Amino acid sequence: MTAGPRCTPRTQAALGLALCVLLAWPTLRHALEASMWRHMVLQFPLLMVAGALLAAALPPRARGAVARWNAHGIAGLVGVAGVLAVLMVPRALDLALRDGTIEAAKGAALVLAGAALRLSWRAAGLVVQGFFLGNMLPMTAVVGQLYIDAPLRLCNAYLLDDQARLGQWLIALAVLLALGWLAQVGWWMARREGAALLPHEA
Amino acid sequence: MLRTAVLSLLLALCGYAAADWLTHGFQVWTDEGARRLEVVLQPVDAPRVAVDGPGVAAPDLPALLAQGGGVTIADFIYTRCQSVCLSLGSSFQQLQAALQADRAAGQRANVRLLSISFDGAHDHPAALRAYAQGLRADPALWRFVRVPDAAQEQALLRRLGVVVVPDGRGDYEHNAALLVFDARGRMVRVFDVAEQQLALDYARHLARSAP
Repeated sequence: MTAGPRCTPRTQAALGLALCVLLAWPTLRHALEASMWRHMVLQFPLLMVAGALLAAALPPRARGAVARWNAHGIAGLVGVAGVLAVLMVPRALDLALRDGTIEAAKGAALVLAGAALRLSWRAAGLVVQGFFLGNMLPMTAVVGQLYIDAPLRLCNAYLLDDQARLGQWLIALAVLLALGWLAQVGWWMARREGAALLPHEA
Repeated sequence: MLRTAVLSLLLALCGYAAADWLTHGFQVWTDEGARRLEVVLQPVDAPRVAVDGPGVAAPDLPALLAQGGGVTIADFIYTRCQSVCLSLGSSFQQLQAALQADRAAGQRANVRLLSISFDGAHDHPAALRAYAQGLRADPALWRFVRVPDAAQEQALLRRLGVVVVPDGRGDYEHNAALLVFDARGRMVRVFDVAEQQLALDYARHLARSAP
């Protein structure tokens, strides 16, 4: 990624911190959590974005230390997959609403997952990225289909039509992320082939 | 690479432990399932909230549940309800019919029914009486109460794990269920509305085995 001249690591970290504060602010938190689909498809990714922005503040030495424990981004992606898989259990949403400790743990886990994703993604390379997405995206789509098909409310705090809408969002999100990643891979490979045809340019 | 493998394994174990805790050992996936499982493991005392209703002379909910030393099957209702409470109402009518048949057959299974309103601001005793008459409730078997104090009402819902959500069309959605209380005022089981026969058999059994 090419960070523009204005988006220095410090600016990014400040933005991440501001986003964290904003998302923890009760009015916005309750507005996002009032609906099941906003809770999962809006609040979850926003918390991860905040974590990814915060990760910019990591000094190079800490980055090196993290990388030693995170070869090919594998440990980070395992952590991200674990957080997302656990938070897809319907009970997690209900518990987060009525238990402040669980809510805080959920927020912290998602912020950390966002940071881990950023620190692992490029190191992962196409194979590990493909493996990660090949696991996560079908899981997301299957959970989405379950939410659409379930005749009963899976969360006490949310309505049935809200649950079905969340299911549609999860499937759409899985498809969009898959297409986005494939497009990026295609673009990257085309560029590499182009570079191979012009060997003297480097 | 070894460090990465160790950390990955550790993270995977943490994820497994979290999922294990969240789902009570992969038995339940929803909060309602967890609530029903937890009440089996650990009965929940009915809180001391003041109740009133047509023909009800108990000062608070535990006293009402203790009256007559029997077992109570309770549900939560609101009288303006047009959806799930209608099916709850009819399942309670069937329970009442079964209990009346018990009585007619001379079996004294000490089981009673209780409908608790979670709309205390609207469901005054007069409204509850009209609602009970509409359902042809037998006052000896099936009683209706509300919790007049809003804070106590919230405390009761929270303690018993009842979640009420406005559905945006003027009605409420709630995790309707059949709650079985023993004579000491403890909620000992939560059954699904569809498990009405199971709830009845369990309540009869509990009433018979009670001293």
